[in-house]
Amino acid sequence: MKLASLARLVVTVLVVLLAVLIGHALWKHYMYSPWTRDGRVRAEVVRIAPDVAGLVSEVKVLDNQVVKKGDLLFVIDRARYLNAVAQAEANLAAAEASARAAGASINAASAGANQTKVNYDNYAAQSERRQKLINNVISAEDRANAQAAANAAHAAWQQAQASTRQAGAGQQQALAAVTQAQVELAAAQLNLDRTEVRAPVDGYVTNLDIRVGDYASTGTPRLALIDSHSYWIYGYFEETKLPTVRVGDKVDIRLLAGGARLTGTVESIARGITDADNPTGADLLSDVNPTFNWVRLAQRVPVRVKIDADHLPAGTVLAAGMTATLIVHPAPAR
Amino acid sequence: MPREIALGDALVPGLLLVFIGSMLLLWGLDWLAGRYGLYRYVWHPSLVRIAAFICVFGSLGLLLF
Repeated sequence: MKLASLARLVVTVLVVLLAVLIGHALWKHYMYSPWTRDGRVRAEVVRIAPDVAGLVSEVKVLDNQVVKKGDLLFVIDRARYLNAVAQAEANLAAAEASARAAGASINAASAGANQTKVNYDNYAAQSERRQKLINNVISAEDRANAQAAANAAHAAWQQAQASTRQAGAGQQQALAAVTQAQVELAAAQLNLDRTEVRAPVDGYVTNLDIRVGDYASTGTPRLALIDSHSYWIYGYFEETKLPTVRVGDKVDIRLLAGGARLTGTVESIARGITDADNPTGADLLSDVNPTFNWVRLAQRVPVRVKIDADHLPAGTVLAAGMTATLIVHPAPAR
Repeated sequence: MPREIALGDALVPGLLLVFIGSMLLLWGLDWLAGRYGLYRYVWHPSLVRIAAFICVFGSLGLLLF
């Protein structure tokens, strides 16, 4: 009887011990194995804004339309920018004409300089001859006059030379004005080209908020373009599960939409989230939440998962914002 | 084994199915044990029954997930 009751005790204790071990293993597996139901499909979005302001004259796309890189999205009214180009062209023509005029005035100035040089040579020779005559053949006054005339001719020659240099400087100024006008023309042409807003990437037009007749301001986004090659998934893993996640691990992805199965790899792990307990309250003091001592909520850290686009099931429609379940298969420890 | 299943439109964890399955399984085991009087060989039958349930549920859960 003693032995039988001991056996009964042993059997019971063994079964309970086994239950504790298995229960603990299941608890650990369920709590710490890296999987999450909080996966979100994400995509890179380009916010398309016009580079020049004006009335919208044409909208070439529909909402949710597929576009290729370089496709025309919408057009800003071109009239003002055509005018600007015409104005810049006219300015350039005027600048070129004044450059030519400056070239001609150099020629005129150097011809004038030659003339005054000849004049000066003539007067100088005359004066020299008169200074050499001896014995009062001419009066001292005439001699002085000849000298003065030669000096005046010399001064006139120098003045003409200075005018030549001035004309040269004027030509350089005119050439600089030509360059300036060319740059202005290029800028006006660029503005004209930018009236046509084109798709910078392949993708889907979304949230098209632009109509013919709208006024589009420079830099204000008017539609979103979702890059069709950029879909990825953000899995918000609880921090308790994070230690087993490594970059490069394989990931099974199940979309909530129809349970489509995708595969992927862990691309990167976010290295920061906002501390929810650190908003600043009144008087610059931090606004710390009260806590339950027993219940602690795990923070969730985004893990970026690259979708294996080559093995996408046929007909899978991915939309940014969809929900997915992610199961990470940790690579064997190295 | 799916991580979650849709009951109507409510998503519940897949572990719930395992739980229900192991309850049915244990019902059978319990019937067998009662039929052949195996509870005579244990100390506290109800303690053993709950421990056996945890063993079955844990093993199935670990196997399927």
